[in-house]
Parts: sequence; C-alpha cells; structure tokens
Amino acid sequence: MQDFLELAVSATASGCVYGLVALAYLLMIRPTGIINFAVGEWAMVAAFGGHLLLSRYEWPYPVGMAVVIAFMLLVGWASERVAVRPLVEKGAPLLAPILALLGVLVITREVISVSFPPDPLPVPFPVEIQYYKYFVIAATAMVFAGFWFFFEKTLWGRTFEAVALNRRAAALMGINLSRVTAFSFAGGAAVAGLGGLLVSPNVSAHYLMGVPLAIQGFTALVIGGVGRVEGALIGGLLLAFAEQLTIRYAPIPSGFAQAVPLLFLMIFLIVRPTGLLRARA
Amino acid sequence: MKKIIFAFLLATGIAHAQTIKIGVITDRVGVSKPYSEPATEGVVFGADEINRKGGVLGRKIELLIEDDQSRPDISAALARKLVDQGVVFILSVSLSPATQQQQTVTMEAKVPQMTPMNSADYLTTQLQNPYFWQTGPLGSTQGATLLAHAKSKNFKKVALITDNSDLGQAIGKAFKGALEKAGIEIVADEVVARGATTAMPQMQKIRAANPEAMFLAGVLTAENVLIFRAYKELGVKFPIHSSYNLSVPIYETVAKGFINSITFVDAYDPDKPEVKAFVAAYKKATGKDSQNLHGYGYDGIHLIADAIRRAGSTDKEKIREAMQKTDYAGVMGKKGMKYTFPEGKRAGFDPDGMVVRVYEKDKQGRVVHVGQK
Repeated sequence: MQDFLELAVSATASGCVYGLVALAYLLMIRPTGIINFAVGEWAMVAAFGGHLLLSRYEWPYPVGMAVVIAFMLLVGWASERVAVRPLVEKGAPLLAPILALLGVLVITREVISVSFPPDPLPVPFPVEIQYYKYFVIAATAMVFAGFWFFFEKTLWGRTFEAVALNRRAAALMGINLSRVTAFSFAGGAAVAGLGGLLVSPNVSAHYLMGVPLAIQGFTALVIGGVGRVEGALIGGLLLAFAEQLTIRYAPIPSGFAQAVPLLFLMIFLIVRPTGLLRARA
Repeated sequence: MKKIIFAFLLATGIAHAQTIKIGVITDRVGVSKPYSEPATEGVVFGADEINRKGGVLGRKIELLIEDDQSRPDISAALARKLVDQGVVFILSVSLSPATQQQQTVTMEAKVPQMTPMNSADYLTTQLQNPYFWQTGPLGSTQGATLLAHAKSKNFKKVALITDNSDLGQAIGKAFKGALEKAGIEIVADEVVARGATTAMPQMQKIRAANPEAMFLAGVLTAENVLIFRAYKELGVKFPIHSSYNLSVPIYETVAKGFINSITFVDAYDPDKPEVKAFVAAYKKATGKDSQNLHGYGYDGIHLIADAIRRAGSTDKEKIREAMQKTDYAGVMGKKGMKYTFPEGKRAGFDPDGMVVRVYEKDKQGRVVHVGQK
C-alpha cells in the first residue's frame, strides 16, 4: 500500500508535466490547427534558462522562474512571427507552418547544443526534494485552473474559443485572428517552458530532453482530446499512471513495459479518435 | 605582385608539406558528445604539447578534425575525405558503430586508424583490418573487473538496472551474462527508458525484491540521476556497483548528494604518477581541470606520435609495423600498465588494467580494487 501511495504521487507529478506539454500543444492547435512539435524544445530552452539563472547565477527561484517564463512568451511570439505568420499570410497550406516549426525545433536544439557544455546540467530544487512533487502538482493545478477560468469565464477566452470553432466566422465578427494566433503561440511556449522548468530539477537540463517530452505530451493530448483544457491534464495523468503502474505491477519484463503506453495510445486512437473529452459545440 | 603571391603560396605550401597530418573524427552534436568532446580536447592538448617539444621527426603535427555526429552513415565519408587530404593516421573518438564504419575505408586505403576510447569488443574481431587498433578498455574487461570486485563481497542475489539505449542494453546483457556465470542470482532486472521523468516504479520493484546489491549498467546520465534520486527517496541502503559510465565526472555536479559510496569501474587512477603529471600540465596549459576522458585522447595522440617516431618516417606501412610493436605507458590504466598488442592482437588495453573506484564526498575518490582477480 505504501508503495502504491508513493507511486501515485510520483505518477501524478509526472502526469502534471505531460499535461502541461499537452496544454501547450492544445493552446496552439485549438485556434490555428497547427501541431507544433517544437514544444519539447521550448521546454528544453526553459530548463536551460533555469540552469543559467537559478544554478549558475543563483537568482531566487520566483524571480528566475518569472524571467524564464517571460522569456518563453517572447520565444513563442517570435516563433509565430518568423515561422508561422508569413506562411499563413501567403495562404500556404496548413502543413507548411508545421514543417517550418520542425525547422525551429532543429535550430533550437542545435543552438542549445553548441552553446552549452554537452553534459546534463543541474537545476536546483525550489523546495526540499521530498516535497518537490507536491510543488509540481500545485503549480500545475494553478496553471490549469487559470486557463480553465480564462477560456470559460473571460471575454478574451471566448474569442479564442470562437476562433477555434470557426476561424472565418470569428474573423467576420471582427476578431483579430493574427493577434489570437500570436497569443496562442506565446502562451503555448510559456506553458511548455513551465513544464520544462518543473521537470528539470529531476531530469537535469540537457539538449536531448525535448523530443521525449514532445512525444509524451502529444500522447497525453491524443488521450485527453484537443477539445478542452481539462483534457490535457487528464490525458497526462492517465498516461503517467499507465506507464508507472505497468512498470511496477505488470508481470512482464520492464523493457516491454515501455511499450504499454503506446499500445494505450493506439487503442485510444481506434476506439475514441477525438480523445476522452469532446469539445463543446 | 604576382611574384609575391607565388612566393606566399610556395611558402605556405612548404609549411604544409612539413606538417604531419592526423585526422580526428569526433562527435560535436550527437549522442556521444559528452565523451567525445573532452577526449578531443585531450587530443588537441596532446598535439600542442608534442609540437611545443619540437614535433615528430622534426615536423609539426597538424590535426584535421571532423564531426560525424556518431552516425555511421556520415562517418565513412569523412574517413574518405581525410584519406584524400593525405592524413597518415586517423584517430576515432566518436561512437563504436561509427568507428567500425570508418574501418571499411581505412582497410581499403591502408591508412592506419586507432580509437583510444571505444569499448565495443567487436571492433578488432569482426573485421580483419591490420591497420586498426583499439586502446580503450573493452566492454568485457569492464564487466569482468566490476564482477571481480563484487565477488570479493560474496553477493548471492543482486538487482540489475539499465536504460534502453543501445549501449545501456549491451552493457546490461554483458553484466547479466557475467553475473549468471558467477552463480549470482538476479532478483530484479529493470529498464529505465530514455526521457523518463522518474525511476520510482523500477526502484520500488527492486526494493521489493530485496537484493544485497544493485548493478547499474545504464549510460544515460539524466536517467541514471533519476535512479539515484529514487534510491535516496525510497531510503534503500544496498550498495550500488556501477558501469564505467559513472566515471564521467559530470555526476559530481549533476548528482550531487546522491552518489556517495557508489563504486564504479574506471581506467584512471588519480594516484598514478603519469596522471598527476598530466593533470598539472593540462591545468597549466589550458587553465582548466582535466577529466579522465581527456586522458583517452591524450594517450591516443601520444601513441600515434610514438609509433611514427619509431617508424622513422610517415610511410604508412612502416607506421603500421611500428604501431603493432607498441609498448607505451600512458595516463590511462592502473599503475604501471602499458599499452601493448601481443600476438597480433589489436586491442591494446591490458585486461587487468582497469580499477574500481568509489565516490567520496561527492567526488571520484580512491581506487578500491584493481584488475580482474
């Protein structure tokens, strides 16, 4: 029983990180339809930011965190300006910005790879290590609550929803599409960055950390569905529990246990391709 | 004006002809970058040192450094490029499969090639390439040395944990085979996937199996840190015996507070006189602290220089013959170890040359065991 409780906390904390990455995807997919796999690299950039400010320059955690998140907003905004907006304005098909963003992914990783030493770099814990999982859970809960409130209760959030439901109609209603897109990318980068920052004291900041996070987050998104904010969190938690419970309790060699979450993903795609939660009409 | 240009070309041409070109194939952006980069720094430092002391056969060494990203498909093409540029030796410090691929070129072009650090056992056995040598400790030697140390502790049942990288799996299999051969029962056999965010479930399973010790075969630093973190969080006490990966000094910073009393295989004894001299010289020349990984590259370039000196020329066939007769003590290996290639073998690290060391106060500490006995 003690094992199970320990594992439940650990899986919840991992699930929160997956959920944040899934939310980052969702923020961009909803209004634009663009799947941005660079979210993993954005998480990595934030982790390196965390290393730089918190470990190397030893800034206080809240200040460092705020600066990193602000920087990520800027990164997201700039990526949209450079890799998405020119293509959309020229009427390129949806695949074009997706591929351009893959380019952003590679460039980001290479820049980090050549600017930092090759080894994983430490990022400090803001609280005692045994309480850190609760810190991750609390921070994630706050972010999700904030976004839920934003989309459900504010006019701004409603305009995002409107664009998601029907871009053309939203534009005809006078909603500024490019502003919504810019905000969704800035927000996506900030949320992905927060995910990276939260996971980095555990996994350290290293230049190959982005792709696994991007895959885990995407899996969580598919499980939860792109329709609603809560879906991302539920997807993340389900994925993390599936992963960790299988490794711990399934009577199969632990090498095979790695495949179970992906099986899970395939089953979900077949049985419920829209994910657990459906978008409201 | 034309005359000046001509004279300049002639002068640089002569200067070029006078250097001895040595190719280095390293990895600047791929998976073995954490190993390749310090090793390459060791090569560069070693070449500078040799040049400062007058070079080899009165000529300076010129390094031509290429980056193969540890990718076998790129690697062979780069070896070809270096051969075309007239290198007399190729020094391979990226990943074993990439080094293997380069051999297809060096074997055909009859250009001497060596790796000072790759550990794959197959490099000198799969291809009968008389122009290739390996002076890094073999994977099997690492396993045997670690096991020899473990045997002295009389373990009956142990746990094994690794990651899902190629190398992690290969070392895990080697450990498993060696443990089973020694009649030690493996009560838990766990894998942590690359990119995992926790190793809690694996460590819980190991705790439930109640082993007397845990063998760590993983090579991914971030994932190994997850294992140590879970170990500490779960409050387990069994000793950890680690692969050679823990000899990478990055653990001193990234796993601070988690690594004390972990024992690991290494090819580096800080008390060895050659090591002390190397550490001091490196610090003086670069202002930076050296690691054991620098030693591999440093030994590599010195082994090549030594062979060319003994060959007395840059004729590749003569260098090949001289290299095969190597008898050289370098930075790596236990006290008094020499690199040799007896009986036509081309793997030159003494099977009894590795040591087991222990982490003390978050630093790589003393040697606790030597060799395979």
